Amino acid sequence: MTLFKQIALMLSLFLLIILATVLILNFQNANKGVQDRLYEDAKNTATSLSLSLGTANGDLSMMSTMINANFDSGNYHHITLVDVEKKNLYDRVTESDIIAVPKWFMSLIELKAPIAHANVSAGWSQVGILSVQSDTTYAYKQLYAILIDLLISFTIIALIGLAALNLLLHAVLKPLKEVQKQAAAITRNEFIIQNKIPYTKELADVVLGMNNMVSKVKAMFDKGNEELKAHKELEYVDQDTQLRNRKYLIDRLPAYLKADASYEGGVNMLISLSGIIEANEKLGRQNVNKLFLKIADVLRDSTKNIKDSIVARINGTEFSLLLPNCSDSQAIELAKKIQQSCQEIINLAELDSKETFASIGLYEYKHSDNIAKLLSRSDNALTQAKFNHGNIHLEKAESAVEVMGKEAWKLLINKAIEKDRFSFVSWSVIDTKSKKLSHNVLSINLTLDKNSSYSYAQFMAPAIQSGLSSGIYKKIVDMLFRNSSMVLSVSTYALRLPHEYLENQETYKNLSELLRANAAMLPFKVIIELPDRLVRQDSKLIREYIELFRKYNISIGIFEFIGESDDYKYLQDLRPVYIKGESSYFLTQSDQSLSALRLITDTLGIALIAVGVADIETLEKLKNRDIHIIQGKVTEMLEI
Amino acid sequence: MFKLKMLILLSLLFTNYAVAGEPYVDKALLNEIGDKYGVFAKKRFFFLQETFDSVKNKGDLEKLEAVNNFFNEVRYSSDMKLYGKSDYWATPWEFLGNDKGDCEDYVISKYFALRHLEVDYKKLFFTYVRSTNFKEPHMVLTYFETPKSEPLILDNNNRKIFPASQRKDLTPIYNFNGDMLDEADKNNEKSHKKWDELKLNMQRKKI
Repeated sequence: MTLFKQIALMLSLFLLIILATVLILNFQNANKGVQDRLYEDAKNTATSLSLSLGTANGDLSMMSTMINANFDSGNYHHITLVDVEKKNLYDRVTESDIIAVPKWFMSLIELKAPIAHANVSAGWSQVGILSVQSDTTYAYKQLYAILIDLLISFTIIALIGLAALNLLLHAVLKPLKEVQKQAAAITRNEFIIQNKIPYTKELADVVLGMNNMVSKVKAMFDKGNEELKAHKELEYVDQDTQLRNRKYLIDRLPAYLKADASYEGGVNMLISLSGIIEANEKLGRQNVNKLFLKIADVLRDSTKNIKDSIVARINGTEFSLLLPNCSDSQAIELAKKIQQSCQEIINLAELDSKETFASIGLYEYKHSDNIAKLLSRSDNALTQAKFNHGNIHLEKAESAVEVMGKEAWKLLINKAIEKDRFSFVSWSVIDTKSKKLSHNVLSINLTLDKNSSYSYAQFMAPAIQSGLSSGIYKKIVDMLFRNSSMVLSVSTYALRLPHEYLENQETYKNLSELLRANAAMLPFKVIIELPDRLVRQDSKLIREYIELFRKYNISIGIFEFIGESDDYKYLQDLRPVYIKGESSYFLTQSDQSLSALRLITDTLGIALIAVGVADIETLEKLKNRDIHIIQGKVTEMLEI
Repeated sequence: MFKLKMLILLSLLFTNYAVAGEPYVDKALLNEIGDKYGVFAKKRFFFLQETFDSVKNKGDLEKLEAVNNFFNEVRYSSDMKLYGKSDYWATPWEFLGNDKGDCEDYVISKYFALRHLEVDYKKLFFTYVRSTNFKEPHMVLTYFETPKSEPLILDNNNRKIFPASQRKDLTPIYNFNGDMLDEADKNNEKSHKKWDELKLNMQRKKI
């Protein structure tokens, strides 16, 4: 319970007790007043009537008439006349018939009308004593009306009082709210500095303390950010040409060589410059470097229109151009242009073109290839090219025996979308340090019938090629949120959302509606994984997604992280629960680079998770690098 | 003669006298009365006690006579002059302390004196009367031997006690006995406004 609620409750209770006490006292006063009034009325009647009775000279019939006249005209319970020997001379009694007030009120309020007495005489003689008691009917009515009035007035006063109390408390505790906001922000790893220091000393000390702490954490984050940026330059950039280097290519390749890669394949082009030793002798190292710079410019220009292409210098004389979604004919044409441009640069440098020339090997890769295969086949192509007449050689990928044609896949996938033939399977992500399950990663299977079932790796590639991946994700996201019982255990589940699906125009709208209707009722916690390549763009669309997920308390994770951003402030804004990178990425990072990344993630409370961990040896290596949360085949061998 | 009277008074003042039963005014109150009203006031109370002692074993009529005579010696004065109020019922101590009072004060003092002398209070009434001589409201103490007998009138204007039939100058208006009214309803603390005030003053021993 918040402090505000506690104080509000206490003061409200206090106010209500005071009001109730005042109400009770008021009512008791009114009750006493009414009872006094009953007596005074009775007394006045007794005295005046006794004086009147004195004029009757002891005539009982006259006195009875006088008593009747008084009794009938007023509100009396009884009027009794007794003689000096206490013998009853005459009396009148009425039965109260109170219908104007509820029974509970009568049983709650005991109203006694006091009896007033007066001596009655006739001349010098004593007649007796007259007793008069007022009727309580009228008094009950009066008291009930007073009670209702009091209740109404005190309810209004209580409401006004509580509203005023609420306003007052809000005003008094406003600085505390700000302090609380800042504390909550710190818990969420947000760096908020509160400039408005509260007037209250205790709160001011807390705010100053938190400001100081936030400043230090922010400084740590900035330091990590700067260091990581600096290391990125060293790790991924060739210092001579400012092109990417071999390490960058290796770290990026997994995103191109996977089942759900955006492109079915493409061409990897290796360009090797021969005769550089001779060129160095002839022109000197500096001029040869200039020559490489010009070649680098040519390579950049040649690939600028090819989406997601990577240009890297992989060693002193070799360059690699990864050209996704590029056909062999386009690649050969591009290779010829590049060779031509290189030749012109060599000629311009007045070098012997027989000695110094560019050889280009092309390998037509498929997304199903692995990195080793892509590199070795590319190397083969380059070796062939060096001996070819035109120094260009294309090595085609083996035409794999397709189980199904493209159209058949399209039909099958469309049918599966239509008939809800997808089902979830999950893989464990394990924290090896605490030996606990971190979360489950959801994947999907396509099951046509008992005998025909396809894994994600099998059907996703043809789905992407047929432009059906967004449709599949729309279906499974719908399944996850609408039919959450499909995921049986109560745990945390992560679902990876690919680039294509997120960028689809309808996705945001569909997701918003799904979350609005179902997010609150989910029996498990959901983490949505977004590709690093997409989130670091800080686009309007990504900000909208993040806002949407936060609104429904859905955590965000990042996958395919290789730390190639120009600035890591997006992590601060995004505050993902974890970052997933290939195990090879974590293992090949320098100590400084990894330590800088750790500084950033630790200040923001982000976990680092290595994916694709296949064996115990890799796992041990990762542990040595302080990466303890792992995903991959090896988790099947671990006990938790 | 005056000197002789003074000598007797002073000797009485310093004489320990024993009265059987409870004294009408206890010693502490007597001292207070002495402090407030002076030594002569204190002496008046001695004389009162003496009067009581002289008739304590006698019949009602002797007691009536003695009490009536004793208090009728007190001078008449209006409440306005004495207390600054139009109507005030003084306690017997105030009345005798001041040695002045109006008709109600005589009645009150006589009533409580007779009660002290164990005359049945049910025989005594405060009676509002109209005095035809003075043409003004008046109050006398009436004594009823039996509830239906003719009352005796103890009046401060006519100092002798007469049966009511011989007091043609008085027209009875209303009889009142506070103790009887109190007795009629013991749960009720109130019976008559003036009587209630007087009772309170008596309890507080107002002097």
